[in-house]
Amino acid sequence: MFTPGSKYFLGLAGFSTAFMIAYIVVVDQWDGGATALAAIACAAGLLAGLSLFNRDGEVKVGDTSAAANAAPLGASLWPLIATVGVVLLAVGLITHEIVFLLGLVAIAASFIEWVVQSWSESASSDTAFNNEARGRLLHPLEFPVLAAVGLGIIIVSFSRIMLAVSRDVGAITFIVVSSAVLFVGSVFALKPNMKKTLVAGICTIGAVGIIAGGIAGASNGKRDELVEAKEEGHYSHKECGPEKNKYFDKNAEKTVSMRSNPIATIELVDGKLQARELGVEGYTQTITVPRANSSTVIFRNKSNEEHRLVLYMGTEQVQEGVTEDILTCTQMIGPDSEQALTFKLNKSSYGQEKPFAFTVPGLEGQSIEAYVP
Amino acid sequence: MTKSMRKLVASAAGLGTAAFLAGCAKDAPQDTWQPKGSNAQKIDDLQKPVFAIAGVIGLIVIAVVTYVIFRYRDRGQPIPEQTHGKPALEIGMTILPALILTGVGVFTFRTVFDLAKTSDTEMIINVTGQQWWWEYDYPVQEEFGITEPIISSGQLVMPVGTKVLLRETSRDVIHSYWIPALNGKRDAVPGRVHTLRLDADKPGIYAGQCTEFCGLSHANMRMEAVALSKEDFAAWVQNQLKPAATPADGTLAKEGEAVFLNQCVRCHQVNGLLKADGTPAIAAPDENVYSGAAPNLTHLMSRNTFAGATWDLLKKECRDNVWKATPEEFGKKYLAGVSEDCLNQIDLRRWLRNAPEMKPMYADPTKLEPTNGLYRGMPNLGLTEDDIDKLVAYLVTLK
Amino acid sequence: MAIIEQPAPASTPEPALPATPTRAYGAFKRPVATTGWKSWVFTVDHKKLGIMYGAMAMFFFIVGGIEAVLIRLQLAAPDGKVLSADVYNQMFTMHATTMVFLFVMPMAAAFANYFVPLQIGARDVAFPRINAFGFWCVLAGGLFINLSWFFGGAADGGWFMYAPNSGPVFSPSTGVDYWAFGLQIAGIASLTGAINMIVTVLNMRAPGMSLMKMPIFTWLTLVVQFLLLFAVPVITVALFLLSFQRSFGATFFDVAAGADPLLWQHLFWIFGHPEVYILILPSFGIISEVLPVFSKKPLFGYPFVVFSGAAIGFVGWGVWAHHMFASGLGPVSVAVFSVATMAIAVPTGVKIVNWTMTIWGGKLNFTAAMHFAVGLIVLFTIGGLSGVTHSVAPSDTQQTDTYYIVAHFHYVLFGGAVFGLFAGFYYWWPKMFGKQLNERLGKANFWFMVIGMNLTFGPMHILGLQGQPRRMYVWTEARAGEGFFNLGFWNLVASIGSLILSVGVLLFLINVWKTARSKEVAPLDPWDARTLEWMTTSPPKEHNFDVIPTVHHLDEFFHRKYAEDPVTHEIKQVATAEDILAEQEANADKHIHMPSPSYWPLLLAFSLPIITLGIIYSIPVAILGAVITLLSMFGWALEPSTAPDSDYDPPASGEGTKELAPLG
Repeated sequence: MFTPGSKYFLGLAGFSTAFMIAYIVVVDQWDGGATALAAIACAAGLLAGLSLFNRDGEVKVGDTSAAANAAPLGASLWPLIATVGVVLLAVGLITHEIVFLLGLVAIAASFIEWVVQSWSESASSDTAFNNEARGRLLHPLEFPVLAAVGLGIIIVSFSRIMLAVSRDVGAITFIVVSSAVLFVGSVFALKPNMKKTLVAGICTIGAVGIIAGGIAGASNGKRDELVEAKEEGHYSHKECGPEKNKYFDKNAEKTVSMRSNPIATIELVDGKLQARELGVEGYTQTITVPRANSSTVIFRNKSNEEHRLVLYMGTEQVQEGVTEDILTCTQMIGPDSEQALTFKLNKSSYGQEKPFAFTVPGLEGQSIEAYVP
Repeated sequence: MTKSMRKLVASAAGLGTAAFLAGCAKDAPQDTWQPKGSNAQKIDDLQKPVFAIAGVIGLIVIAVVTYVIFRYRDRGQPIPEQTHGKPALEIGMTILPALILTGVGVFTFRTVFDLAKTSDTEMIINVTGQQWWWEYDYPVQEEFGITEPIISSGQLVMPVGTKVLLRETSRDVIHSYWIPALNGKRDAVPGRVHTLRLDADKPGIYAGQCTEFCGLSHANMRMEAVALSKEDFAAWVQNQLKPAATPADGTLAKEGEAVFLNQCVRCHQVNGLLKADGTPAIAAPDENVYSGAAPNLTHLMSRNTFAGATWDLLKKECRDNVWKATPEEFGKKYLAGVSEDCLNQIDLRRWLRNAPEMKPMYADPTKLEPTNGLYRGMPNLGLTEDDIDKLVAYLVTLK
Repeated sequence: MAIIEQPAPASTPEPALPATPTRAYGAFKRPVATTGWKSWVFTVDHKKLGIMYGAMAMFFFIVGGIEAVLIRLQLAAPDGKVLSADVYNQMFTMHATTMVFLFVMPMAAAFANYFVPLQIGARDVAFPRINAFGFWCVLAGGLFINLSWFFGGAADGGWFMYAPNSGPVFSPSTGVDYWAFGLQIAGIASLTGAINMIVTVLNMRAPGMSLMKMPIFTWLTLVVQFLLLFAVPVITVALFLLSFQRSFGATFFDVAAGADPLLWQHLFWIFGHPEVYILILPSFGIISEVLPVFSKKPLFGYPFVVFSGAAIGFVGWGVWAHHMFASGLGPVSVAVFSVATMAIAVPTGVKIVNWTMTIWGGKLNFTAAMHFAVGLIVLFTIGGLSGVTHSVAPSDTQQTDTYYIVAHFHYVLFGGAVFGLFAGFYYWWPKMFGKQLNERLGKANFWFMVIGMNLTFGPMHILGLQGQPRRMYVWTEARAGEGFFNLGFWNLVASIGSLILSVGVLLFLINVWKTARSKEVAPLDPWDARTLEWMTTSPPKEHNFDVIPTVHHLDEFFHRKYAEDPVTHEIKQVATAEDILAEQEANADKHIHMPSPSYWPLLLAFSLPIITLGIIYSIPVAILGAVITLLSMFGWALEPSTAPDSDYDPPASGEGTKELAPLG
């Protein structure tokens, strides 16, 4: 199974790998020497593979009268692509990394394709057989790569379109495009005798349309709200004041807070805050929270306005001499809704100047103390 | 099989069964068939008939199979009638177990709801599990003399004949609270609160263990429930409400207090302990331990186990004196706490010398990346023998 | 190998030499070897795959058994020092994982793979390459999980790996990652195998074999495949959530972020409960075949056994929270699940009646296989009854997480599942290998195993009820109670029992080895069996049946050998197995197409551990693995399921067929 040539290369790959491992163990880190040895191992491995495929370039046939293909070799794209690759490589060194990468990809692809093509063309005199041999070797590589690349381009393009247009337009676009795909796909399925070129043409138009749209979207940039949100960090911190915040309190009515076994539920009824601890009968104004314990409280708003529940968790020093309150809160929820709040009080109440407490901003004099023993 | 072999097997089986049935430990501390409280009693009343039924059915099946294998062995008889089934028998044997189980089901249903009742609670104790010990805090309950919250660990002290409700949670992973003599177990799950009813008929000490795998020292996470008569419990509460006394100057205990302030106060709270400048020493376990807390040691010597109730604070003779006391004497003996003569010096010193060696805890200071430098338990403090002498002298004063 | 032709007549003129070479180049030619290691590594033949599944499962049985003996050695005395806490925790986790996922499930798959096509009169399964892929996945997954022993420690969270203990903070070593990914890979095998087997059974039965004429082993295997089909995706999801939390910082089980740890428990047990039926039903199927054969009577109440099997399959989905009675679900859920669990005891109990009535009135031949089958009836009953005591939820809150539960599931799994598998070994060995396992050694094997098993797991009932919790790396005198028969005594007995049990397993291995070396060939029908798989040579030819039989009865083979005299009602033999086989061979089919071997399943299966290794250590490796996966999937898709003629060497002049030498 192993040709003599491949055996030499495999040996080289094996020894390099072994030396590389020994080297790393001795030097105890990955450095230039290890890289060099790894490179040798990979290169030798690649060469071993190639010579295995080619059986050392020896053509063995069942019958010597099956001469190599005497027909003239057809045109090939690969030398051109290889050249383009080299150029991109050089240009990429000066300009962008991506160009360099594209160049590498072009060179690798053309190398493999070219080698295999020339090998397969001299395998026998039967072009059908030669094509089949080339196909057997390369189709498992070509189809997935092309499919992945193609899909990737379409997905990225479509995502640029969706990011660029406004949300409603985006929804409409999505519906339109997906309906089109469904419609065209059904037509293809129902008419299996449709001409191949027509099918290919329709698909190409669709793909080109999406890619063009993607390029347009990308050059336009993301829609303003997204840019703004990222810059200003709208969704990354809690706003615990008495006013409704455009970003933090968005979609509060769509949250589902079906938590079972919270440590307590705090209800706002008739302008009064009262707490009910799990397992304890009746309402209290103090709940006990074990220290350093992630606990969940469910806030139930039974009043007629929107409110949020805020927990004062002590203070922290942000800068020299400047202390800030640590607060956490629920979103602003409407009448007859509830929301869960998970928090952790690390310090004991013993030694705190101001006790930990739940309050509702805008509601004076109402609080539930969170006592940490 | 020959006749003699058959006899051998039968007698072996008989002996085996007899030995099996007789072979139980006496006074196993965590025996599930010795209920000592009304909740465990309810479970026992339900399970004993079920075990009996199961045992009877098991014996019937074994008997029938044994009969068949002897009676129908191949003795040269012709190929038997190829009966394909008897629907009546099978339907009957489906309905009969279904009926039995329906009966069991009805009683089970009732007991489940009985054991889940919280409306008749008389006393609440919050239980927090942590790797690898249990913390208890008693919220203010004037009717029991608890005017301020009490924190303790290891031994859950409760009054006899009182419907206690535990509210369990955990600081890190899932643990499970189980005192077999008093009730089944209930998991302590982080982020949730679960309730468990406990009540004890008589004063005594009831052993338990954490029963949900919680990591390295799951086997070393134990607890006891201590039931005291109502008067004794009031006395216990009074003691727990007192802060720790400052030892007299010039004693070994005073030097031990200095060691404590130096090393232990980072994690362990002792109420009433003052720093050198006279301000109260406040422990900060949340800055040193990943799970955020460490046992409160204010009244360490009022309990008789330590390190997650895994080791005794009492020497063997003293321990037997307390643990095996009759219900009438138990309260007094327990409230006497741990005196210097009865202190289990060996285990306590071993602990202070190198805790992770006694109880595997990942407290290794070289392996703290996953927890951002915080310990997972008590580390090896590198104390000298001298320090340990002083510390022990101080700890003994924490009654 | 792909096409078995009758020899061509000699007068055909030699064709002109083709310009197309008959051999394609490259190292990756389609493997068409019929002998040697290549014929095993690239096979898609269900019989070879069944044997490989069995060999792998037996290997992991020994690994899991060693882990168990180490556990028992640690617990033989108080404050044991055999294993440290860390290693002990890894040991019990891996023992359970290995036994459940790498022994019982693959061993059941071994029997299913080998015998289901034979029992339904088919030549192979519906998707042979997927079948091969399944085997290689289980092997890859099993090896992957066990790699963790060598790379930083195995998983140590218990086989049900509760969150948050299994998360990155509380289990920082890579053990749990290896565990989760290894199970994912092995799970793929279960899923694809399930689809394969369902399609096979529903579509490829012999003519005349309606579903109610199918052998019972095939029926119960079919139920198991449906259970797998719906249960494995649930654990796949759970493992994905866990892996994403551990490897990519997700917060599915992070309590501080608002998660509820009970999510893991629900997901795991929705898988975990059907899983235990997946473990036991194949063994039920095996003894439902073995008992009738050695009683010379058909299975009593075949329709009831089938329907109760299906009922277990259905109701089994509604009882998962009985593993969570102490988890804080609240009284309503607990009560409902408690009653549902009692309900499921009923169809299981019916089977005991059926088996007992099968042997009642029979002509009992106590071969080793029969010993194991009868042993299962008794031991599973004991295990099942302790299970009924758990179904009473308040009682279970005392019993759960103690050794009483350990006793229960070892009785049903060892006394049930494993004994069933051993019955299958002794019953089907002559069919698979052409030789019978030694009966005397077999009986010794049985007695050591049954005594060892009862000594090991019987005392655990006492230990549990008297308060010894499970998963403790030590037990102490302080909790062991007084008296001679205290917990210490029973722990010691259990440990000694485990050693006796090991001797029993050893005897089995010795039996296998001795049989392999012996030259004695088994008769064609050594047990006077009843079902279709015995209507073949021993071992069966590659294409199983020379002619696919037409089926008229349940227990078709029995009905071909025996007829009932209408007058005297005596059952007389009218044909021997040899007669029936000879008749088959005389009417052999002319053109039999068999699927060809392939290396793509192997490549695809082993690309998966590369991806998972990469996720644990280095993402570029994972990408490399993903690339190989993608390539393999395409290569597989582009390859025809049957190799074209050009892949074969033409027969040298004078040779007739391209038929293979028989297996064996």
